[in-house]
Amino acid sequence: MSFDLNKLIRGRVWKFGDSIDTDSINPYYLYPTMEELKKHTMESYRAEFPKEVKPGDILIAGRNFGCGSSRPGLVLREVGIAAIVVESASRLFLRNNIARAIPIFLAPGITGIIEDAQTLEVDYPNGVVRNIATGASVPLRKFPPLIERIFQAGGLPHVARARYLAEVGRTQP
Amino acid sequence: MGQTMAEKLLSRHNLAKETVKAGDILEARIDGAMCHYHGSEPLHTLAQEMGFKDGMPRVWDTDRVFVLLDHHQPALSQALADENKLMRKVVDRLGIKCFHDAEPGISHQMMADYGLMRPGELVVGNDSHTISYGAINTGGTGIARADMFYALLFGELWFQVPQSIKIVLEGTQPNYPIAKDIILYLAGQHGDDFAGSKSIEYSGPLVSQLSIDSRQCLSAHGVEVGAKFALFPCDDKTLEFLKTRTDKPFEPVAADADAEYVQEIHLNVDTMPFVVAKPNQFGNVAPVDEVRGVKVDQAQIGSCANGRFEDIEIAARMLKGRKVAKGVRFIISPASQQVYLKCLKAGLITQLIESGAQVVTPGCGVCQPKVGYMSDGEVCITSTTRNYKGRKGSLNAEIYLGGPLTVTAAAVAGKIMNPKEVFNEL
Ligand code: SF4
Repeated sequence: MSFDLNKLIRGRVWKFGDSIDTDSINPYYLYPTMEELKKHTMESYRAEFPKEVKPGDILIAGRNFGCGSSRPGLVLREVGIAAIVVESASRLFLRNNIARAIPIFLAPGITGIIEDAQTLEVDYPNGVVRNIATGASVPLRKFPPLIERIFQAGGLPHVARARYLAEVGRTQP
Repeated sequence: MGQTMAEKLLSRHNLAKETVKAGDILEARIDGAMCHYHGSEPLHTLAQEMGFKDGMPRVWDTDRVFVLLDHHQPALSQALADENKLMRKVVDRLGIKCFHDAEPGISHQMMADYGLMRPGELVVGNDSHTISYGAINTGGTGIARADMFYALLFGELWFQVPQSIKIVLEGTQPNYPIAKDIILYLAGQHGDDFAGSKSIEYSGPLVSQLSIDSRQCLSAHGVEVGAKFALFPCDDKTLEFLKTRTDKPFEPVAADADAEYVQEIHLNVDTMPFVVAKPNQFGNVAPVDEVRGVKVDQAQIGSCANGRFEDIEIAARMLKGRKVAKGVRFIISPASQQVYLKCLKAGLITQLIESGAQVVTPGCGVCQPKVGYMSDGEVCITSTTRNYKGRKGSLNAEIYLGGPLTVTAAAVAGKIMNPKEVFNEL
């Protein structure tokens, strides 16, 4: 699924704290299939999240989001989260989401300008996130061109596929 | 300006053959790729999603891809048995030469046991604790399957050169392991992401006293404080460790004297208290005396952080002439078969069992819910890597992290205690 960074994203906010771990985002030790994971993601922090999250919602969190095991946020995309906007993300979680073109944005100060259930607008081209109700905004970090290209391609596997096919002189796998 | 270990290591691997510095983005050649169970079914499925109907079309170098069925050996369910079977086929089809199939253990420890990574190399693995290879001066770091798909096809991957933090360890190694206390203490003092996306370099007079086991614990836990690499220098102990394990050449990496660090942290272990991480975050650290008396139902020694010989040796040594408290489940899981064998030959396993501990198959099970689920309201103290909610099953079980000595003290006392109170010979 390719992701267009230039598209504006607007959605209702779910707000979480610091150091949210991947065991909570993706508790696959307990629930190995995606169908089960969707029913339990983030429940260790907010039991209502998997029941009430709607496609198009935005997840906000504090620093060190996605610490712990190496698992991308595929389940968050599956339940419809349109963007993840955090103070900071764990290195692996950030990397893994870039590799899957899952929209994740670093916006230091974000937790100070928005509350749960308010509407947030993510404006990547202009490098800003805004609280629609209050007008408050903070800048978001632009990605270097190499990472923007990975998003554009729909993730690193797509980049790999194209490079491999070009190398072996084929158009189809 | 001089280079840090990370800058030097990544410069050497830069495809563009240019020197890189902190902040630069590069495409690098990798020396090795470790795939544990995720090397099978999920990667296979991803390849199929990309249109390769038989799975991965190739790996770039059949000598440099290491596949280990660690998390899931022996198979703990029908689904895992089926996945393992698929993996055997995949490995066979791709011609991968290094495949540890019928051997239980934690991939990272087996990588070390069999000398599959060497100083100065850049090695990726689809597991966060790949960072533990820094203990022997290897630039090890975790990725996930989408990056691995690229890495396996081309032997290359993009990286951002991390800034570096220098941690200077001072003081004297006591006659018991303290690596876990060191990293927990640092997380408590500086926060659980103080090394976020950075490279840790360990130095100082304590380093030469630290065993490879202790260094592996500190490097593994680099990821619990957010790091990309957690590197030790290559010294006599490293060379001694590698002597019987590899005959391939390698070029260690060392920092320049004028390398630039974003932070320098000094810790003198002589003044450091025993500490634990309270539920449910790694940085929720307190001196052990602060939680004195918390009753425990389960105590554990194991994982890629603390399932090594010295961790099991201290438990056996302290249990000599003592018993595990009635009602406490003291579970010990060696990190690998090689570690298990060494413990067995040293008589440690007999001592542990005679004192009432359970010794279970090497592997990741005790670090996850798989071996030793906890029920609502129960308390576990463990030397494994993580204490997130649900890590041992119930969301209402409480998990404390501590060093192997603190865990053993709790197993004997039936409650969390300062090891010096429980073991007066210390
Ligand atoms: S022991 Fe635990 S942390 Fe280490 S690799 Fe296994 S599951 Fe992961």
